[in-house]
Amino acid sequence: MNNSIVRFILGHVLLIEAAFLLLPCLIAAIYGENEGLWYLLTAALCGLLGFLMILRKPKNNIFYLKEGCVATALSWIFLSFFGALPFLFSGEIPSFTDALFETISGFTTTGASILSDVEALSHCSLFWRSFTHWIGGMGVLVFLLAIIPLSGGSNINLMRAESPGPSVGKLVPKVKYTARILYLIYLGMTIVEILLLLIGKMPLFDALTISFGTAGTGGFSIKNDSMMSYSPYLQWVVTIFMILFGINFNAYYLILYKNIKKAFGMEEVRCYIAIILVAIGIIFFHILPMSSGTFDALTKSAFQVGSIITTTGYATADFDLWPQTCRTVLVLLMFIGACAGSTGGGIKVSRIVVLMKSVIKELNSYIHPKSIKKINLDKKPIEHEVVRSINVFFITFMLLFSTSVLIVSFEGQDLVTTFTAVIAAFNNIGPGLAKVGPTQNFGFLTPLTKYVLMFDMLAGRLELFPLLILFHPAIWKDLLTQKMGRKSRNKSS
Amino acid sequence: MIRSRNPIKQGLNIIIVGCGKVGATLIEQLSREGHDITIIDKNAGKIQEITNLYDIMGLVGNGASYSVQMDAGIEETDLIIAVTESDELNLLCCTVAKQVANCAAIARVRNPDYSKEANYLQEKLGLAMIINPELEAAKEIARILYLPTALEVNSFAHGQAELIKFKIPEGSALDGITISYFGKNLSSNVLICAIEREDQVYIPDGDFLLLHGDVISFVCSKKNAKVFLEDMGFKTTQVKNTMIIGGSRAAYYLAVQLLHMGISVKIIESSRERCEELSVLLPKAIIINGDGTDEELLKEEDIEYTESFVPLTGIDEENILLTLHARQVSNAKVITKINRINFKNVISHLDLGSVVYPRYITSEAIIAYVRAKKDSMNSNIETLYHMFDHRVEAIEFRVDETSEVTDTPLKDLSLKKHLLICFINRNGSILIPSGQDCIQVGDTVMLVTTHSGFNDIQDILR
Repeated sequence: MNNSIVRFILGHVLLIEAAFLLLPCLIAAIYGENEGLWYLLTAALCGLLGFLMILRKPKNNIFYLKEGCVATALSWIFLSFFGALPFLFSGEIPSFTDALFETISGFTTTGASILSDVEALSHCSLFWRSFTHWIGGMGVLVFLLAIIPLSGGSNINLMRAESPGPSVGKLVPKVKYTARILYLIYLGMTIVEILLLLIGKMPLFDALTISFGTAGTGGFSIKNDSMMSYSPYLQWVVTIFMILFGINFNAYYLILYKNIKKAFGMEEVRCYIAIILVAIGIIFFHILPMSSGTFDALTKSAFQVGSIITTTGYATADFDLWPQTCRTVLVLLMFIGACAGSTGGGIKVSRIVVLMKSVIKELNSYIHPKSIKKINLDKKPIEHEVVRSINVFFITFMLLFSTSVLIVSFEGQDLVTTFTAVIAAFNNIGPGLAKVGPTQNFGFLTPLTKYVLMFDMLAGRLELFPLLILFHPAIWKDLLTQKMGRKSRNKSS
Repeated sequence: MIRSRNPIKQGLNIIIVGCGKVGATLIEQLSREGHDITIIDKNAGKIQEITNLYDIMGLVGNGASYSVQMDAGIEETDLIIAVTESDELNLLCCTVAKQVANCAAIARVRNPDYSKEANYLQEKLGLAMIINPELEAAKEIARILYLPTALEVNSFAHGQAELIKFKIPEGSALDGITISYFGKNLSSNVLICAIEREDQVYIPDGDFLLLHGDVISFVCSKKNAKVFLEDMGFKTTQVKNTMIIGGSRAAYYLAVQLLHMGISVKIIESSRERCEELSVLLPKAIIINGDGTDEELLKEEDIEYTESFVPLTGIDEENILLTLHARQVSNAKVITKINRINFKNVISHLDLGSVVYPRYITSEAIIAYVRAKKDSMNSNIETLYHMFDHRVEAIEFRVDETSEVTDTPLKDLSLKKHLLICFINRNGSILIPSGQDCIQVGDTVMLVTTHSGFNDIQDILR
């Protein structure tokens, strides 16, 4: 394995994180908070380390899928580790486990918090928490590809490892421009949301952090009651933008540059909208009796459905108190998740569509055993390889999920808490039900459970395999033996 | 790297249809020059493989279909290159593309039926270029057989000048002299422009000392080449006969060229049907039906006495083995055609002598066209060759307008390092320049350099 390119990329990731860490320093300067110094210190640390890592250029720039996955997984671990340091240094989150949990939850756009009193945090920490969502949503390596000229064509492997979805393609021939287009759409939509929130008389700081949380489909809020205290206008703006950020970004590219017809014709987007409408319908009729009017019920049901299916995790109502049907619908939505190629998590609508079509195909093959039919998506046949990888993804997802549930069950909590805590972490949602419900937090769990959930969050964000490959013995061997090789070479020279 | 004049948009939008051998070479070279490339092929596996290697976009489908071309963004494309297996499909691709968009089109057409009409097709269909790798390879082989001492012969200035590569044998007059001594005392109308020694390539200055074993490239006008080589004590007569193994299209094109030059041709081909076809097409050649890799047959057909031997089977390994065999049993001049590039390092250590890579020949022509198209304000690339494994480029520019480089004595220009101006072609006469000479409008200027990506004559300046 080409270790030097992995090191080189990690170095760049740290440099980018150092630059990002300066933003909370700015916020601290505006609000006159001392915690800003810790961010400055961490930024300096990241910058120094990153600089040392890129000092020596890699021997060759070629990397394959393996290197792409390892670099991605390690980048996310490094990012989370260094992102957690300011919380720890400033003493706002005294335990290392908790600080790491909070940061991973931020970068993976989960939004599960261990804090019981969010409002006690300094502005700069609140900003950093929300900003991690924004970076994590589109991905830090995509950002890296957009700004750093990595020569060699194989850097699509980095993007493939980080971006969600069964088959990651390019919008334009070059990775660099694809990454730029994605970030421009992302940035543009975030700015529009900030402006719309400002029009609704939301304070600037709130508008910024809420928009970051929506754009990355994260869900960290700066208020203890999440989004409940905001006006219906603001809630609707956030609802609509959550749903928009859950749509495949290819659709926006098509709208911007080519044809609108094709964008609306995307099967995945249509299914996604259909699922949302059905879910809103079911919940609306169930909560109508307990809400103050039709509009209120509609606002609440739409917000919660949008928040859960896009795996954002904001809440305007304690849906844990809702009728059982509603809770069940929301749990099912948690599994489905957003569209591939969006900032959301979960299994992804396109995978669900392909899995459903596979089931239908299997049923048909019982009626006509010798029939041959290819599964189509967007009227194009899907390669067998893609279908196979989706099946394996689903099986692996279920395996990891049940293992996590088993480990978390040693905590001794009730089944709903255990089950939904894992779902909420794995699908990068945030709140679950019962003791981890929207008005609760994850702070009471034991460290073991927290580490399991952290693993789940990373695995969910990176879509399992890029993280799992780190546990493959061959990768360990590669990482270790090459390091030894380099050492002995240094000695001899 | 390429000097970017416009940082936002560096390259052209290029669509390549078909990723076979030539397609892959084009992708490799054009993506290295920084163009935005989309490839179309019917085989999803191939697309997957190639998009993993290069920073390009892949599309599965039939490249001649209108909707597939639209998906590939034909409307914003500057150039479409069709290099699928089928000539007809390539022509159809280009025709459809020309209807949809205002782009240049290049098609590969290899069938001898069409190759005679290439110019007609090109003009009527409005194509920028028709490429025929087999024909180009045959031409290059013919040039070498015309001057068998040379390892490679490339022509410039419409055949007026030649770039000739050969190895200095032990005890030659060139062994142990410096370049400046060579220029003053041996020959003034020949310029040594690149030297390869022990895997290193040098663009020499006056103090460079030549040694035996060096592979040197020199430039001179066509009529001086033979005179110079004769002076140096080399055999310069063209071969009298040649033996070709394999009756492929390239063999046919080569036979036509050689027969025209008065060289007798013997082709060994294993398919009886093909032999009969060839005997009709090439009445003057001797066509032998048999297995060209059979040692006994080769002996029977006098491999020991043949003056030149060209294995042109479709299988590189067979060609290489035949070459090694021929070098062992005879003194024939042997030229090997290699289709794939894999294991090029191994091949270069085998000491095969002259090696011809058809896919490079075509891709060089296309790259020259693309570079010229990219942004040539006041000059145009006429010819481009890659020498010594792409480490040196030999480029011929046509100078159309006055600029900083024109009408200034060469010694006063601040030229880049590792660059040598080899000749100036003024109204058809080849001038080996000295420091007092100037480049004038209307000249073509040929230079060699280890830099790559020159688009414009002004790139020679620091």
